[in-house]
Amino acid sequence: MSESAADDARADASGAETAVGSSNVDRPRGEYGVELDGVVKRYPSGGGEPVVALDDVDFAVRPGEFVAVVGPSGSGKSTLLNVLGLLDDPTAGRRLLAGTDVTNLSVAERTRARKESIGFVFQDFHLLPTLSAVENVAMPTAFDPGDASGRAADLLTRFGLGDRLDHEPNELSGGQKQRVAIARALINEPAVLLADEPTGNLDTETGEAILAEFERVKSEGVAVVAVTHDPLVEEYADRVVDLTDGVMTGGLPAGADGEPHDRADARGDG
Amino acid sequence: MTDLAGWLRGWGPAVSMASRNLRRNRVRTVLAVLGVCIGVLAVAALGIFGNVLALGADDAIGDIGTQVVVSPNADAGVESLSDADVASVRRAVGEPAVIPLYSDSATIARQGDQTFATVYGIEEPALAYEAAEGRLPERHRQGAILGAGVAEDLGAGAGDTVEIAGSQVRVIAVLVESQTFSPVAPDDAVFLPESAFSADGYAQMLVIADSGPAASTAATAIRETVNAREDRVDLFEVAAIVDEINEFFGLLSTFLLGLGAISLVVAGVSILNVMLMSTVERRQEIGVMRAVGVGRRDVLRVLLAEAGLIGAAGAAAGTALTVLLVAGLVLATPAVDTALVLDPTNGYYLLLALGFGVGVGLVSGAYPAWKAANERPVEALRN
Repeated sequence: MSESAADDARADASGAETAVGSSNVDRPRGEYGVELDGVVKRYPSGGGEPVVALDDVDFAVRPGEFVAVVGPSGSGKSTLLNVLGLLDDPTAGRRLLAGTDVTNLSVAERTRARKESIGFVFQDFHLLPTLSAVENVAMPTAFDPGDASGRAADLLTRFGLGDRLDHEPNELSGGQKQRVAIARALINEPAVLLADEPTGNLDTETGEAILAEFERVKSEGVAVVAVTHDPLVEEYADRVVDLTDGVMTGGLPAGADGEPHDRADARGDG
Repeated sequence: MTDLAGWLRGWGPAVSMASRNLRRNRVRTVLAVLGVCIGVLAVAALGIFGNVLALGADDAIGDIGTQVVVSPNADAGVESLSDADVASVRRAVGEPAVIPLYSDSATIARQGDQTFATVYGIEEPALAYEAAEGRLPERHRQGAILGAGVAEDLGAGAGDTVEIAGSQVRVIAVLVESQTFSPVAPDDAVFLPESAFSADGYAQMLVIADSGPAASTAATAIRETVNAREDRVDLFEVAAIVDEINEFFGLLSTFLLGLGAISLVVAGVSILNVMLMSTVERRQEIGVMRAVGVGRRDVLRVLLAEAGLIGAAGAAAGTALTVLLVAGLVLATPAVDTALVLDPTNGYYLLLALGFGVGVGLVSGAYPAWKAANERPVEALRN
């Protein structure tokens, strides 16, 4: 398939988000925002059997799709996010980011790929306390040529923080901090947004507001993956994927590889 | 070229982030800066102290380091130096001037004042001495050249007439007062033309070199050639003494600098400690930076900038304090020669201490920075 065809397909996906997730059109694999193919992650454990955190995981998220990954603590959700986010390498299997194989990258290449294609949102926000809101948003590009603070200010304004640009994190509420964190994740227009318990430290109302922001993010064609315990997140997600003891159910979107999964299926497995 | 520009550009945000990080724990930062400040003060002050001592000693010894005095070795039965000796010494030393001297002593008198002085017969006084008054002739044919001390004793100047061993001689020049000590002490001597002497041989030879090392080389050459078979001549080599004195002061300076350096090392350890603590405390923050795509090199830069800023601030404060301290010392102690303290070589010790201060910061910061920058973000982010 030609590159322009793939581009067109992506444009389609971002333009018609309502179709995403329920579409049964057979799309080429390279068009996923992020994809794991038979990924295994084993950790050595003190002398004994290695711990299998991810066991032959097939997982893919389309651009503009919001996937929630649920499962009990210690089931491998964090490992999944780390592998998806290029913070950790799989022991076996393939990992693709926007159609490019990123299974084996050098440290510098991984850092670059994270900066350019992946946004992170953490439960604890993880803003740098010495930087203002704008500086936190622009932080991933702070060492690059050009000044991203204009773009950062635009993003913050979009998230309703136009009057908080120069505030430091300790002057912001939890919801505001998480918005700053989402803006930071979007500063480089990533293909994928990875969120680790994004509502874990927020009250329900604020959590819903944050999830509404995720809706907007995905409507711009970003593949959103949230690891969560929060039933609220599941409500907002297009697809809920269960991960228990490293085994994933419903990892592939409906219509992929002739293994249809719809939301009801995925939930039923969980 | 673009690499360099990119490399330089990265330091702007790094220094900005670093200075904010340093402001987070002001007390800790100030204490670390104080440590470097004291270390730099110690290095600079002790370095300058040693240098002033050495300069003072150099000043006292003067420039005699360039002279070698050659005398006949009476123990070997040599009573005087022949023309052949002069010729062989000239051959041996090459470049440096060789000035043979006749020597005697006489009473010098003028208008009732009289003094006892050594009288030298010299042909080329201009090679060895300088005139304070009058002019030293290329070839000394007539008249007397007075040493500064003799001229003062007699109250005589160029153009006056003095009585030397009963004969009236016109004074053609008075020498500059010499700062040196040497077997041939010009201050208390009178220099006459060689024709005034009827002796068979020369009493001494002066070998005048351009520098101390050249004088040493000349002395060695004389030992190896003129004294090759028998010790015909005795050598009085001031350079050797000057060398030893310089060596001593060099040792003293090094020792003092070493003492100062110990305190700088202690300061370095305190920076190391501060940086280790602060990188451990900020482990998650650094992990987040790495996770969102800040490269290892840039994290390293931020942390190195922190350590470097501590070092630079401490070094600047220490240098300023040293200048104040030395200035205060000069004002309070009239005995200290201001010219010695203002000698440019002291600036070298200031720069050295300044550089060491910054260097200690960077070196001590290197390990914590490297460690933090290379930690895998997935580990650093783990709660």
